[in-house]
This record gives sequence, C-alpha cells and structure tokens, in this order.
Amino acid sequence: MDESGGSPSESQATRRVRFLGDRRIVFDNEGFFLNPDDWSKEVARLLAAESGLNQMGPDHWRVLTFFREFYYQNGRAPLNKQLRNSLGMDLLTLEGMFPEGIKMGARRLAGLPNPKSCL
Amino acid sequence: MTERLIYLDNAATSYPKPPQVLARMCETYARMGFSPGRGGYDQAMEAETFVERTRWKIARFFDVPDPNRVIFTANATDALNLAIFGLLRPGDHVVTTCLEHNSVLRPLFHLKQQIMIDYTPVPFNGRGLVEPSDLTRAIRPNTRLMIVCHASNVLGSVQDLPEIGRLCASLGIPLLIDAAQSAGQTPIRMSEWGVSLAAFTGHKALMGPTGIGGLVLGADIDIQPTRFGGTGMNSESLVHTETYPHRLEAGTLNMLGIIGLSAGLDYLQQETAQQLHEQEAALLKRLYDGLVALPGVTIYGPPPGPDRVPILTLNVDRMSPSDVGAILDGDYDIAVRTGVHCAPLVHETLGTGNRGAVRFSLGPFNTAQDIDRAIEAMTGLSGR
Repeated sequence: MDESGGSPSESQATRRVRFLGDRRIVFDNEGFFLNPDDWSKEVARLLAAESGLNQMGPDHWRVLTFFREFYYQNGRAPLNKQLRNSLGMDLLTLEGMFPEGIKMGARRLAGLPNPKSCL
Repeated sequence: MTERLIYLDNAATSYPKPPQVLARMCETYARMGFSPGRGGYDQAMEAETFVERTRWKIARFFDVPDPNRVIFTANATDALNLAIFGLLRPGDHVVTTCLEHNSVLRPLFHLKQQIMIDYTPVPFNGRGLVEPSDLTRAIRPNTRLMIVCHASNVLGSVQDLPEIGRLCASLGIPLLIDAAQSAGQTPIRMSEWGVSLAAFTGHKALMGPTGIGGLVLGADIDIQPTRFGGTGMNSESLVHTETYPHRLEAGTLNMLGIIGLSAGLDYLQQETAQQLHEQEAALLKRLYDGLVALPGVTIYGPPPGPDRVPILTLNVDRMSPSDVGAILDGDYDIAVRTGVHCAPLVHETLGTGNRGAVRFSLGPFNTAQDIDRAIEAMTGLSGR
C-alpha cells in the first residue's frame, strides 16, 4: 500500500509511506529507508521479493548484516574497498548477487539511507 | 588490485597537482601570505604586485587587453553567478544550451522562479554540438545574454565559439562562456572570437588548487556588483568601489589560491598546453578504441577528434552507473565519476534520466598503462 507525501517541500514531496508486514515505513523517492531503525528481516525479505530475489540465502544475509553493523558502528556506509575486503568477495560478484545490484539492491535492502552525493 | 589509484576523474578536479605547483604554493605563501592591496608595508605591496601579475597572465591566457577586468572568484560556479546576477534584470531573456551544467541552469531557473527572467535551452545534435541556426531561432527581442558551455562535462564536445561569437556580435548580444572544462584544454581567444565574458575555475585543467577561479570580462561589457564590502580602496565612503576589478571583488582575496593558479599557468606554459592536450587526446582515443566494441557498453557523444576534451561517458547494460563506479573503485582502484554530472538536460537528452552514466576523464598524469587497465576492467564488467 502506498501513500504520497503531500508537502510542498522537496524532502517531504519525495517521501513515500508504505505498510510492509506490520510496519509503517517511510521511504525516499528511490525506495531507501529514511530511518534505518524501521528495518527488519521480514521487511528485507518483502523488499527482496519485490526486486525479484525470492530466496535470501546465507550470503545475502551476511551482506545485509555487514552493511547494518558497519553503519551502526561508524555512522556511515562502508567504502568500496572496505566492502570488498570485509566481505572477502569482489564487488562484481556482490553486484551479481542482488537483482538491483549493490546500491539499489544490497544497500537499500539493508535499510541504509540513500547516499547524499551522486555516486 | 593495482598498486596505485588510477585517477580518471580529472573533469571533477585534476589530480595529482604538478609537484612544482604545490611547491610554489608552499614556498610563495610562506613568504608572501599577506593581505594584498590592504596595507602600505612592503610585504602587502609585494603581495598586491603578485596578484596584479597573475591578472596579467590570465588576461593574456584568455586574450583580453585589460588585466583589471580579470575578477577572482571561488570557482566557475561563483563566476557564473556573478555574471548572471550582475547582468540580468527583470524582463530579460537568455538563450542557453541543453549542455549546461547546473552552475548555469540553477541560477537561471532561480531567476525564472522569481518571475524575473525567462530562458531558452537550445538542444544539441548527435555530435554534442549546438547548431548556431538553432541559437538564432531562440533569440527574442528581449534576449539580453547568450550562455554557452564551451566544452561539455559529459560529452567532451567543444562548441564552435568563433561562429557563435560572430553571431552574438552581429546581434549585439553579449556571449558568456562556461570555460570550466575548456580552460587549459583548448585555446580561448575572447577578443578574436567576440566572447564578452568567460567563467573559469583554477582546479581542473589549469592545474591549480580548489577554491580559486575567475570571471574575465571583455572591453564591451559592464556588470553590476552582487556583493559589497571592503576593497581596500576609498574606505571612508559607504559607496562600494566602482572601478574594476575591485568593483566585483569584495573581501580579502584567496592569496594561496591565486599563487596556485599562477603556478598552474606557468606549468602549462612550461609543459605547453598543446603538448598535454595531444597526449590526452591520444589516450582518449586508446580508451575509446578499447571500449567501443565491448558488448553491452554504450558510449555517448562523438568519437575522439580534434575538437574534444578528454572525457568519455558510457553505460553498461543492466548495471547501474553507481555500481559500475563502485566496482571500478573497489575491485580495480580506478576512480571515475558516476551519476548525472550536474548536467540534467544532457542526460535527459541522452535518455539516461536520473541514473546518469559513468564518466572517464583524463589528465596529464595518466599513462597508457592506466588506460589499458581501465579497458581490462570494463572488459570484465561487460562480460559478466
């Protein structure tokens, strides 16, 4: 279920409220969580299925867990080389694990906020 | 992983800076880091002389006769804002292009939102060029200014400024060029071409540091100040200084930036800008030749040629540009710029919309090995 934000301000006009499982979650216009605390495994499963990933395996959960733990420990997402070295896999492999890739796939499903700069 | 970063984001800022530029900045600023034009003691006078000599260098570089019409700004965006806000008045119309950076589009959009002005962005053709006949058609009786991006920061195409300058001169419309990507890459002959104003930055192909740029004015144009304050002149008066350059420079100048810009210009002279341009053009062709046949890779803009800055922009099928950039960085130590490159109308025209593309931009310190490594990486990505 979707609701459109009605505020004229840029930040609010691009917000989108959705009800997933038992949660009311606010996303930005690209589908990133505005509040990472709204994330749950159940919500991640639902979002993954929407993206075409119907079965989350151990490696998928390992990636999402790493993203979240890094974010809560450091206040930001891991850098590209930190991601590669910590996961022990090259980023091309990581990109192929999620139908929507690294940013729109892994990072978004992990509940991290949208990066502010153009990546 | 490679042993060192392969930096292919020189259109954002050139890196590394030439060692002699950095050394000159440290040495000269340590000796001359005083407030230029603000005191009668010898050191302040010496600093002012250095600033004046740098204005001369820039005037020669851009082919204008009067160094007092070289205005220091923070960067090209700052210079474009100064020109746009200093020139336009309610009811004015501007002709510009779909190649523009947000440094032009956003000030114009802001003024339009204030119901002050209107503007017409003219489309570009498949070679990334704007047809002068299309510019002519966009002109209205109240057109006060034409703004043209000299070299596109997405496509690398370089506009035919002599022809556009002739057009503007024949119509009596001032021509403002955004030279952010072209200054240091290709000659700019303002007087010869009929360019009234040029906005440039020091930290790209001019090889200086960030935080310094400028607006160069031809003899035929006057613009109003947009900021007011101390100039070191006529301090007893509340009326802002009217003479150039101080009319458009309020506050203490960025002395360290000016020293770096001066050293960057000297570097280009020593190395000869033409020689560097040819070297980068050859590497661009090497990159293009290595990528053009890769399956699933779409290259935008014209093939390498004589009127071109060393920029190559592409996308990989079924992969987001941001992920391509992340993989190049994380797996290959290659730095590129992804996204919309602050040029939304270019990407709208290309059909790359909000996600943008991947831009490779070359500099004087890139080597054939760097390019071959980039081709190898892209071959791996495209064949996944």
